[in-house]
Amino acid sequence: MNRTAPPSAATWMLEHWTPGDCDEALAGDLLEEFRNGRTTAWYRRQVFSAIGFGWVREIVNRRAVLLFAALWSMLAPGWVLIVAGLSQRFELNARILSLEFPWSTLCDLGLMLAANLLFIWAGILVYLIPHLWLRRSLRVRPLGQGILASIPVLLAVWVALIVLPKQFLHTAAGSGPSLAPVPAYTITRLNPTEVRHVTPEQTWDVRYGDKPVATSINDPRTAIADMRKSALLVRLPFLLCVLCTLWGVTSRFRRRPQGMIT
Amino acid sequence: MTDRSYFGEFELMILLAVIHLGEEAYGVPISRKLEAHRGRNVSVGSVYAALERLEAKGLVSSTLGDPTPERGGKAKRYFRVTRAGLRQVHETRRVLSRLWHALPELKPELKEDSV
Repeated sequence: MNRTAPPSAATWMLEHWTPGDCDEALAGDLLEEFRNGRTTAWYRRQVFSAIGFGWVREIVNRRAVLLFAALWSMLAPGWVLIVAGLSQRFELNARILSLEFPWSTLCDLGLMLAANLLFIWAGILVYLIPHLWLRRSLRVRPLGQGILASIPVLLAVWVALIVLPKQFLHTAAGSGPSLAPVPAYTITRLNPTEVRHVTPEQTWDVRYGDKPVATSINDPRTAIADMRKSALLVRLPFLLCVLCTLWGVTSRFRRRPQGMIT
Repeated sequence: MTDRSYFGEFELMILLAVIHLGEEAYGVPISRKLEAHRGRNVSVGSVYAALERLEAKGLVSSTLGDPTPERGGKAKRYFRVTRAGLRQVHETRRVLSRLWHALPELKPELKEDSV
């Protein structure tokens, strides 16, 4: 190996995996030490350590975002039940099913996406309004970018939940295939009597490990406190979505230390 | 005692190293000085993380130097202790000295262990 050139993979990791702005001074220090006789192993250790410290600093700086995302996503099962309740009340499902394919599928997915995005965007606004009020200035661009970023993040998490674990391909209620944990959750909460007629090999126990409560509880307030695995999975896309969106937006609020290279 | 919060052991060591190095205080010499005095490897990333915390507290300030070829064209980031930083170092030294002086004489076996 050329002694003047450090391991390229480690350098690439330092430049790309360090959160936030890559600290050029740190990269220069590591290179200077390497050229002064430090070993390749030393350089790699320093790179891993720098990346680790960078992420710890990033998480500590954004602890308020983490806390808010966790709290807001706690409300998600309640919101899901409210939406499902409204859908039942206005017979939206029957109206959508009466449409021809592919309009029925498009309308179904579009309504679900719109309802979930509304909840996520409301959370983002709830978090940002105090910041904007304190700063007395509305920066529309980062806000718009953050809100727009929530759409692909939500879709990506949905796709991951659909593709990766097989249990989301069918609901336990036997009312047809479901493509996301959200309808599966609402079906078990809003139509609990149907859960009793599931065949033994299709039971919820086998699939999820938790036993659904066969009661008429569909109160959103109780759903907020629901800690079963199915409810946690419903919260997951909302948690990740709010987190990813605010992560990018809040970086623009952070005070940059003097002398930091941009 | 002032109402400022204390800093940790590592941050104090870094502040002392920055004061000692004066105009030449940047990542490499700071890390080397810490290694020399602690007798073990120091992560440059942890040094920068601590320096950023100190800078956020207003105890050090940093400026960028000129890019140099031996650093792959990357600039050095020089640190110097601010007036507030110096004040806090002196305050910490005063408190620690008083605490040390208030300690009873160490037992002989403890002294031997520390040698």
